[in-house]
Amino acid sequence: MMDVDDKKDFFICRCEEVTLREIEEVIDEGYHSIDDVKRITRAGMGLCQGRSCSKVIARIISQKTGMPLEEVLQTSYRFPVRTEKMRVLEEEGDSDAQNR
Amino acid sequence: MMLEREVVVVGAGPAGLSAALEAARAGASVLLVDENSKPGGQLFKQIHKFFGSRDHRAGVRGIDIGAQLLDEAQQLDIEVWLDAEVCGIFNQCDVWIVRDKDRSVTVRARRIILATGATENAINFPGWSLPGVMGAGAAQTMINLHRVLPGQRFLMVGSGNVGVIVSYQLLQAGGSVEAIVEAAPRLGGYGVHTAKVRRAGVPFYTSHTVLEARGTDHVESATIVQIDSAWKPIGGTEKELSVDTICIAAGLTPLVELAFAAGCESFYSPLLGGMVPWHDRSMRTSIPSIYIAGDISGVEEASTAMEEGRMAGLSAAHSLGYLDHEQFTTGFQAAEARMLALRSGMFGQKRRDAKAAIIAHERG
Amino acid sequence: MRRIGEHPVLGPLPDSEMVRIVVDGEPMLARKGEMIAAALLAAGKQYFRKTIKTQEPRGIYCGIGRCTDCVMTVNGIPNVRTCVTPVEEGMEIETQMGYGHWKQER
Repeated sequence: MMDVDDKKDFFICRCEEVTLREIEEVIDEGYHSIDDVKRITRAGMGLCQGRSCSKVIARIISQKTGMPLEEVLQTSYRFPVRTEKMRVLEEEGDSDAQNR
Repeated sequence: MMLEREVVVVGAGPAGLSAALEAARAGASVLLVDENSKPGGQLFKQIHKFFGSRDHRAGVRGIDIGAQLLDEAQQLDIEVWLDAEVCGIFNQCDVWIVRDKDRSVTVRARRIILATGATENAINFPGWSLPGVMGAGAAQTMINLHRVLPGQRFLMVGSGNVGVIVSYQLLQAGGSVEAIVEAAPRLGGYGVHTAKVRRAGVPFYTSHTVLEARGTDHVESATIVQIDSAWKPIGGTEKELSVDTICIAAGLTPLVELAFAAGCESFYSPLLGGMVPWHDRSMRTSIPSIYIAGDISGVEEASTAMEEGRMAGLSAAHSLGYLDHEQFTTGFQAAEARMLALRSGMFGQKRRDAKAAIIAHERG
Repeated sequence: MRRIGEHPVLGPLPDSEMVRIVVDGEPMLARKGEMIAAALLAAGKQYFRKTIKTQEPRGIYCGIGRCTDCVMTVNGIPNVRTCVTPVEEGMEIETQMGYGHWKQER
């Protein structure tokens, strides 16, 4: 990750439009986990649920704090791992075991 | 309403298909699930010929290998659910699947094989969210699967296998590749593919990266710049390129959400793409009922994915009582030997060591 | 941005039944069953949506239905991933501004 002449106003989180500058500011304030950065900036809470940005955020945290990347990378996830409408929880499908 | 299957395989790419085939041949009841509307994973974008020995179907294109695997699956009458997203795994055996983004089904499985592959990495720079900046895989999907060129003048970022292969395929599709930039001082892809792209006249810039992409509604130009050994741009070396599309080939990261949410232990392997689920020699994770195969266990290639799939399928079936010891050992060791043979040469040796480190790791 | 007619490995582009779709009020033809994103790229569409906060233009990024950058409003339903959704006869596709609006009963 490179500093580009202080041009830090481009997005790291595409979905929620959170800039590199905003993320670095939060890290400077002492928040050193992906979860904390997510809760404060909303980075990783958008439609793609962090798929495009969480590894990048981990790298930024690691670079700024000196923490090894291994300690910052996300390893805890929650079900459902796919975005679904609430209504799929309402009714279970029947036992249709047909091939397509 | 709970269904039951002996083996549920998540992901119908080369690893998943191979796992399903072996488990089914061994006699287990298998359900193969994929979230896409077509099976085959990345295989159907690979229009180039694969390397390897005759065993590995060298000289055969990925698309044809995909067709062969699907054919075998059909002949074995393997149950396949497409447009089926696995959303969770409960109690290490209950697989929650949402079909057609519409209805939930839970399948109780005795063994689960996760073959969910990997996802493309991002490189961030001002202008990277403009239309026209996309993953190299996205461009490959457009040209080889959908037969649409997403632009005309391409900048490729990354000279690894994906970067050079997709660059060549962009040329085959009728696009022009204005440059390939590589941040490292040396190029990163197989010599054969790199040479083809060079012969076609595409310039390579090592120790270079993208500084910025510009445009109003779409990419119109990009600035590349030389970087020093500390990865900092060297002022005065900026070059402006007139491009309308920027493809990012910056490596892949295993798709591990499901494995970790299910409780599998992790292992950090930067060479293989980052966090992977730990696994033993038989491809079994820290959870006895869950196996993995393919890029989820470390980013490699379709050919190694197929062998790992075979190993996982055989192991899972054997653990359920299918195949006697000799049948299992013969099949397993043959697949393992082919897989190790693939991990040879300059690139392969590093992967071999990285994979060996996972298996050798003493869990807490 | 165009369709690939003749390809050295894949051969000629096969003929296809065409379907009529409407994009931002303009009718156009698309190949039956192709992904919306492919049809729009083939037609030269520069961007698919504008973002919520800054109204930035966006197009495809991952191309396989994972990043959600390519979403548009389709038949009145917003946030449809155009790279994994096939075209259908009569489909109405709109460049999505921000969140988009639901036009139907869900």
